[in-house]
Formats: sequence, C-alpha cells, structure tokens
Amino acid sequence: MNRPKPAAPLLTLLPAMALVPVLIVTWTGLHGGGLSIWQQFLSGALHPSLDPDVLHAVWHGLGVTMATALLSWSLSLLFGVLLGSVCADVVWRSWSLPIWPATGLRRGLAIPRAVHELVWGLLLLQVFGLHPYVAVAAIAIPYSALVARIWRDHLDSADHRPLEALISAGVHPLSALMTALNPGMGAVLMSYGGYRLECALRSATLLGVFGLGGLGTELQLTLQSLQFRELWTGLWVLAAVMLLLEQLLRLWRKRSGVGVHGQRRMLLFGTLAIVLGVIGTFWLRLIVPDQFSGLSWIGLEVPSWTQLNLAATELPWYPMILETLGLTVLAAGIAIGLPPVALLLWPSPRWHQCCSIFWACMRWIPPPLMVLLLLLSNRPSLAIGALAIGLHNSGVMGRLLLEGLQQQSGQRQDALRAIGSSERISWLYGLLSPQSPSYLAYGAYRSDVILRETVVVGVIGGSGLGWQLLESLSSFHWAAVVLVLCCYCALTISGEALSDRCRSLWLQS
Amino acid sequence: MTNPLTRVRKKGAVVLLALLCSQGATVLPANAQATLRIGAIPDQNPERLNRRYGQLASELSDSLKVPVRYVPVSNYPAAVSAFRTGSLDLVWFGGLTGIQARLQTPGAQVLAQRAIDAKFNSVFIANTSAGLQPIRSIDGLKSLKGKRFTFGSESSTSGRLMPQHFLAQAGVTPKQFAGGQAGFSGSHDATIALVQSGSYQAGAVSEPVWNVAVKNGKVDPSKVKVIWKTPPFGNYHWVVRPNLDQRFGKGFTTKLQKAILGLTPANERQKTILELFAAKRFISAQDSQYQPIEEVGRQLGKIR
Repeated sequence: MNRPKPAAPLLTLLPAMALVPVLIVTWTGLHGGGLSIWQQFLSGALHPSLDPDVLHAVWHGLGVTMATALLSWSLSLLFGVLLGSVCADVVWRSWSLPIWPATGLRRGLAIPRAVHELVWGLLLLQVFGLHPYVAVAAIAIPYSALVARIWRDHLDSADHRPLEALISAGVHPLSALMTALNPGMGAVLMSYGGYRLECALRSATLLGVFGLGGLGTELQLTLQSLQFRELWTGLWVLAAVMLLLEQLLRLWRKRSGVGVHGQRRMLLFGTLAIVLGVIGTFWLRLIVPDQFSGLSWIGLEVPSWTQLNLAATELPWYPMILETLGLTVLAAGIAIGLPPVALLLWPSPRWHQCCSIFWACMRWIPPPLMVLLLLLSNRPSLAIGALAIGLHNSGVMGRLLLEGLQQQSGQRQDALRAIGSSERISWLYGLLSPQSPSYLAYGAYRSDVILRETVVVGVIGGSGLGWQLLESLSSFHWAAVVLVLCCYCALTISGEALSDRCRSLWLQS
Repeated sequence: MTNPLTRVRKKGAVVLLALLCSQGATVLPANAQATLRIGAIPDQNPERLNRRYGQLASELSDSLKVPVRYVPVSNYPAAVSAFRTGSLDLVWFGGLTGIQARLQTPGAQVLAQRAIDAKFNSVFIANTSAGLQPIRSIDGLKSLKGKRFTFGSESSTSGRLMPQHFLAQAGVTPKQFAGGQAGFSGSHDATIALVQSGSYQAGAVSEPVWNVAVKNGKVDPSKVKVIWKTPPFGNYHWVVRPNLDQRFGKGFTTKLQKAILGLTPANERQKTILELFAAKRFISAQDSQYQPIEEVGRQLGKIR
C-alpha cells in the first residue's frame, strides 16, 4: 500500500508559511523614523550623480565586474561540467565500475559550495595577495561545485534506457554516453548555463573585496557612506546591464532548436562560453595591467590542535547555529513560497507581468542595501534579515518558475478549464503541479545559496554563523574561522541529504 | 563516409581546443616595473577616497620619481591582508588595523599621522526618544543597558574597539543590550542614520565624522544628540612595508616619510591633499603611541 504523501503543488506553496511569523514581527516593529532617509534614497533614483569622476569610476568598475564575471562564468561551466560528469553514478556504471568514488566526490564537493564567494575571496587573498585571478577563483570555485551538482543531478535523473540499450549492444561507454545523453543535457547546459552568467554577474558585483575597484566596491562604499545619488549611478548602470543580459539570454533560449540544429547550437554555446572567457581574461589584463605579476604563494600559519580546541570552547555554538538555521529556513521559505503564492493570487498574464517586474527589482537590489533599507524603518530582528535575503532570492526563484511555466504546454490547464474548474484551480493543478518537482529541486539548490548568504546580514546584530565568520576573519582568528567554516560545510551537507531524502520520498512516484 | 555534421563537429572540436589552450597563454607574467602601491581602509565615500589617494599618488610620483598607484580595497581586513601579502606598500590604516598589519608584517614601520590622530575621540549618540540623559562620568554608560545599541564596522577603532572598551570599563557587555547583542551598522554614517531613525536607540561614532555630518546638515538635532565623548586615544596612521629600500633603492623609506611629512598648505596640490585628509600637516608618529590600543585589542579578542 502506498504511503499518503502531500500533493506536489502543496509542497510548493507550503514554504510561504514562513511569511506569517516574519510579517508579524516586521509589522510590530514598524516605525516612521527612517522616512527622511527613505525619501533621500528614492529622490536619489531620479537624480543620480552625473559627476564625471563618479561616472568614470562606475564605468571602470563595470569593466572589471563584467570581465571578472565572464571569465569566472566560463571557468565554472567548464569545471562544473567535468566535475559533474565525474561524480554522476551513471558514468561510473557505464564502465561497470563501483559507484562509491562518485558518491565520495559528491560529498566532497559540498565543501567548496558551502563557503560564500566573499569568504573564498578573503581566504584566497590571504595566500595569494590582491590579484585579479583571486576574484575570479573566488567565484569560479563555489560556482563550479554548484554547476557540478546540477549537472550530476540531471545526468542521473535523465532517461537511461537509450544508454543501456547502446551499452548492451557493445558500444564503447564514452560514445554511448555522448550519443544517449547529449541531446537532453545540451538543453540543460544552455538554459542553466545562461542563467549562471547572470549569477556570476551578481556575484562579481557583490565582490568588491579585491582592490580591483569593481562596481561592487562602488556600490558598497557609496552605501556605507549613504551617498545615495552616487549609489544610484551604480545601481542604474547595473540595472541596464542585467536587463540587457536577460533579454539576450531570453532571445537565445527562444530560438533553441532540436535535432541536428540543436547539436550545432550546443557546440556554438560551448564555443561562446570559452570565447567569452578568453575575452574576459584579456579585458582584465587591459584594465588592471600592473597587477598581473605572477601568482605566488604566501604562507599562512595553520592553527594548531590546541588553538582549535580553545576556539571551540570560546564559540557560542548553540545560539550561533540556531540563529543561522532560523534565518535560513525563514528566508528559504519566503524565497521558495512567495513566487507561486503571488502568481496564484490572480492568475492573469498582466498580473504575472507585474510580478516579473517586481522580481527583477528584487534581484537587482543587493542584499546589504535591502537589509539597510528595511532596517531604517524597523527594529533590528532576525525577521528583517530573513525578509531581506528571502525577497532577494524570491526574485531568482520567481524568474525560474515563470520561465518553467512558460515552457510548458497549456494542455492540462485547458482540459481542467474545459471541465469547469475555476481559473485559479486550473492554473494550480494544470500548470503549477507538473512544474513543482523541478521548481522544488531548484529551491533546494537555492537554500544552499541562502545559507551562504547569511554572511551578509551582520547589521541586524551579531550572533549567527555569518557574523561570527566575519568577526573571526577581521580578528585574524584562524582557528575560529576554520571551525565556523566546518560548521557551514556540515550544515550544507546535512541540508542536502535532507532535501534529497524528501524529494525521493515525496516527489518520485 | 563523413556526413556534414561530423565535419562540423570535428572543426568545432579543434576550435574549442585551440581557444582553450590560448587561455593558458594569458597567465604568463607581465613585464612589471616596480610600482609603489598605496591603499587605505575604506572609511569614506569612494568618490572622496579616489580624489584623496589619486591626488596623493600623483604628488608622491612626482616627488619620488617612481610610478605610484592607488589600489582601492573595500573592507578593513582585506586591507590588512593585502598589506601583509605585499600587494600594498603604503597604507593609511586605522588604529586597530594598523596594529594588526604591523603584527602580521614584521619590520613594517609607522611613518606618520595627523595631529588629530594622537588624540582621537569617539562620541556616543542617542535617539531623543530613548530617554537617555547626557553622561557625566564613564559609569553613566550603565544607562545603555537594555537599549538597542549599534557599533560601526567590526574592525573600526573609533566605531567599535574603543567604545566597546569604555563600555567594558563601565561594566557593560554587548550581551546586556536589547536582543542580547549589539548591531554592526558597517560604517559611521550608517550608525548615525540608524540611530536617527530610532531603529537603534544609541550608537558609537567617530567624532570627526559626526562633526562633518552635523556641518553638512545630515543630522536632525531634534532626533539624535551626543550623550558622551570618550577619553582620547591614538588612531589613523601611515604604515609602510619593510622591503621598500630593496625594491626602490637605498633610503627610499626615509625619502617617502620626508615626502609625506613635507606636504604643506603652501603648495596648491598639497593643500588639496591635506584638505581631503582634514589635516593641517602630517606629523611623525611612534609605534609606542599605539601600545594602549594593542592591549585593548588583545583584551577584546580583536588581536590574537
């Protein structure tokens, strides 16, 4: 007898419950004291600074950010696909090898993924100094691991029957894999790979740490000094670039073909990724020429066992982990639950367009800015942090959901409508329901990202893992840094195991 | 027999491989002329930082006859690490970051400071609705217990380290604030804005930043006021790496120090630089001036 399990669309909507406690706390803490600064912020949008110095700095910063994003994106796709293929069970099975190395590698890859780009940057900076490639590696390392995970999941969940047929017919495993899995994986690569470019741009923006003077440095410093007019100059430029990139990617995706045509496009995409990477490299060299001295390793004292033990007794483990988990769960709930609920409220194309614009804004506003804006009219609380991170990520999730929905044929919805279901119900069961499993899978990946992003909300008061990490880094207390990073890794790995279990329990029939 | 697709694929594979290899060529080290790289902790808006250090770089380049470049860094620990790893040669550090940098870089020297840096102050500010009275003696800081309180940046001497030290002297720890912790606004300006809005009831900021904010009309005196001014402590200073004489020629460090100490309001460009630093002149400084901050840093765990 089958165990009862919740319906797929319910699982998609349920996380929105996180909004209830968050909104209650936010509502009770609301005050009007920050209105004047909000006003300054908003008027800055209409009058961004057009000072030549500011424009020049933003232009230069944009170049650095774009070049970094392109190069790190190209590298992360390359390594991600390679690593992802190596840790897929199906690849090892094709050669009739045991699959435990794949499982081991997969677990190992959780480590680079668990550490935020910002922290990777600071760590690499310790051993390589200020170098443009440090910024590139800081993005490429966690992103490769992320692409690897997605690639592997798609490889292992693809339809393996053609592959088995080919292998049992005596075809060489490599040829069999290429022939059987290429078409499907090509589509994944193109849609997901394009989306990673946007993520890389966002990350390159967030990373201003590297003395390269990227757009992120401009945004962060203007924000810290509350120079809203100058902040808006950078924000508008960022908006223009993001919009342009999204439109280009949409155009690309719309024209993706099938069969021979599709194969060619895939090859073209691969070439494009590498060409853009090369362009990024030269671009970086052009903008920051005198920083390209050779990379050299500068040693760092590794904390001893006694130091680690001492640090372990000093750290406030219980509140630290609890706060981080609370923040992550609430933020992930908002990020995953908000988009479907918002779309369900009023399933009409015009409303969905409004939602899509709102989400673009959420993606565009960097989380530190969002936290500060929320905090100006609210008391500091965990809810503010969760709301800020949740809203930012709901922008990403919302876009993924809308895109998935648009790619579906509306036959089920039409059928439900024809038998007299209401607009909302037919949307829910006809469109959202088939889309749910893949949406929830992306949600699980996003929760990973959210866990890492808890680093950026120290302003609400420090006791979470993220704040502790920044505090230890700024005290150069390496023993504590090591322990906190281990803690992040452990949380990421267990979160992943949990989400895998849940998915196999509830979503696979 | 080869069909067109296979041919396309083969060609494509060759092109891909060629491009891939060409990426490796770009990693070759570039021809590097010795450049003096100056940096600073990011405690101002970027436009001001760029003007300040851009001007200084051209001035030093002219007087020392070596290429000088300003390398912006966007957070405090990154500035310290960049200095340690040799990516920055001359850095304008705060009190705490300067000590961290010197402890991590044996042989690094203090070159100069401003007159104001020998006797630097922080102010505690409070929202008028919080009901906090002006504080007469350090014990008065006890009235901050149970209030929502924010520091500035984690590594700031005037926005965090010394205020936390004075609070500790009065027997107040961050655990005793509302919510069981203090906030970290990230910057002095953000602290002022957040206390003025009432989200935090009180906070600690650097006195010069507060004065500038008051002068520029960014402070609403009916909403936020100063409740206490801390005793003086040492702050900002120029720190230089030990190996400059080897890289730029004998006696370079001394020449550099002379160039900085010799900046005078009589010269037009030097006057602008000094104005951007809010200083009349740079004066020489000794390591020993920063001893008290080092002790406080150790007590509070910011120096290991």
